[in-house]
Amino acid sequence: MVSNSESLYKILSDCLSQVQATGIGPDGLVFPVDCADVPEGEHKIFCQNLEQIFFMLNESYRYAQSLAGGELNAEVSRNNIFAMPLKALQASLKHLTWQTRQVAAGDLSQKVSFLGDFSLSFNLMIESLREKDALEQRLKTITDTLGEGIYLVDPHGCLVFANPEAEHLLGYREEEMRGKQIFNTIHSRQEDGTIHPHVDTRFASAIRHGHAYQDDNCVFSCQSGRLMPVSVTCRPVLFDDTLQGLVIAFRDITEQKKYQQSLLTINELLEKQASIDSLTGIYNRMKFLKLLTVEITKAQRYKSPLTVIMLDVDNFKNVNDDFGHHSGDLVLRALAKVIGNSIRTSDIFARWGGEEFLVVTPNIDLNQGLQVAEKLREQLSETTFAIPRPVTASFGVSQYREGDSDTSMIHRADEALYRAKKNGRNRVEPE
Amino acid sequence: MVKDSYDFSWEDLGNLEIGRPNLGNETSVAVYRLMQFTFKDVLSKELGKEKTSQLFIQAGLVAGREFCRNILNTSLPLNEFIAELTQKLVDLKVGILRVEKAEMDNLKFVLTVSEDLDCSGLPVLGETVCNYDEGFISGIFKEYTGKDFLTKEVDCWATGDRTCRFDVKPV
Ligand SMILES: [Zn+2]
Repeated sequence: MVSNSESLYKILSDCLSQVQATGIGPDGLVFPVDCADVPEGEHKIFCQNLEQIFFMLNESYRYAQSLAGGELNAEVSRNNIFAMPLKALQASLKHLTWQTRQVAAGDLSQKVSFLGDFSLSFNLMIESLREKDALEQRLKTITDTLGEGIYLVDPHGCLVFANPEAEHLLGYREEEMRGKQIFNTIHSRQEDGTIHPHVDTRFASAIRHGHAYQDDNCVFSCQSGRLMPVSVTCRPVLFDDTLQGLVIAFRDITEQKKYQQSLLTINELLEKQASIDSLTGIYNRMKFLKLLTVEITKAQRYKSPLTVIMLDVDNFKNVNDDFGHHSGDLVLRALAKVIGNSIRTSDIFARWGGEEFLVVTPNIDLNQGLQVAEKLREQLSETTFAIPRPVTASFGVSQYREGDSDTSMIHRADEALYRAKKNGRNRVEPE
Repeated sequence: MVKDSYDFSWEDLGNLEIGRPNLGNETSVAVYRLMQFTFKDVLSKELGKEKTSQLFIQAGLVAGREFCRNILNTSLPLNEFIAELTQKLVDLKVGILRVEKAEMDNLKFVLTVSEDLDCSGLPVLGETVCNYDEGFISGIFKEYTGKDFLTKEVDCWATGDRTCRFDVKPV
């Protein structure tokens, strides 16, 4: 029973000393007097007020504790005068929580006011995020409008990003491909359509070792199944020296390939035109000389025999004069056909000019060459031509000698041919 | 002809540059509150407290609508709109608006206003007093979304909460 001021002060003083010495313990700040035990009067009113204050202090302490522990939904009595500044702090923290979530969701319009240094830091963070955002937007615009397909893959080769041009070129949607190994899909086949040996692909190696490389002769598989020739540039993405993935930039080179192919065809045609005799379709003089030079080099190196047969249609001037140039042309064409069919595929046959022809027979010596010439002569004399007159030819044969050139070999064959003409035509003469 | 009722228009606020060349366009919060609380005094005696609160809410609605039309950019997306609103309320020294919760899908918000023009610093009266603000917030949201809103002040400086907290939702 608290009956007088003195005993009340004593109890209060002990309680406060205890709290000051040991802090507010697990039981909290408890008013040490039971007001019911205090008789009505000034003492009681004083005790009731003080009990109220004790309660508020205690509650405010607990409330602060909860907030300090991060419990932002902590509650406190409305009339707790000690807790009021903390309520303002709680509201600020709740608002910051919401703001942070907004920022995480991409809302960069958030700004913190009236929270001192914190405002400054937060607003700086937002500013730097905005700058990054602007940079990202710029990059996105670039990759969106770029005329090249771009893939970004992680270190396992799984797709992280594809730009619209990559989707457009190959036909795979980014959403379908994200997180999947893309090389199995886009790089599964080779130019001829056969399955790619994956372990050996340059992509696999680029991913393993973080290599950069460029390949102008790559093939990607489109979703439609079409194989697209592409030019590829591959660069590793490094962060703090560790491989984060690869950027693969590629473009369709179908048109370029077609153009190259057509150039190739034209060049082949031009070359053919430059080496073929237009009347007979066999090699012309220029090509013959080139091929003969090659054969002479071989004969020199391998010490193998080599023979040149030169032939000239007998009395061809009369054919032209009596039956016309057209008939003369027909005779020459037919002759080229007969001889072309009779020689070996390894032999070289060309029109030397006018009604003169040359045959090069590698790996054949003079005697065998004479036999070949004789066979050709016989065949010609037995052939029926488009004119009512037999067509024959005279033959001269020369064999390669050490130090021979194309002209010297042809020259000796020409001399032999001259003798064949002199000795009565339709015959074969050796050098 | 003088009409029986009055329709507010923004122009009626007058040209303060001409009108107050020396004193400028600012006044003291005490004067603002003096007017508001004396209105409350006479209106409540004339019409009762309930009716007075309703009238303050209605006046707030008109104020919010006009504020939105004349000061804010309603073509902004919601996030940016709220950011701009917050900034304007600070610039015009109305209060510090903060969002504690926002359900963007169904447009439900919990907003707080600190240093509120109407109530901050008031003695604890045990009841919320910011009826005008309730109307003001509803008016702004209605003008922005085209939907009717109900705003209820759940905590107020005058209830001992140090910040006014408003539940905002469409009706
Ligand atoms: Zn309030």
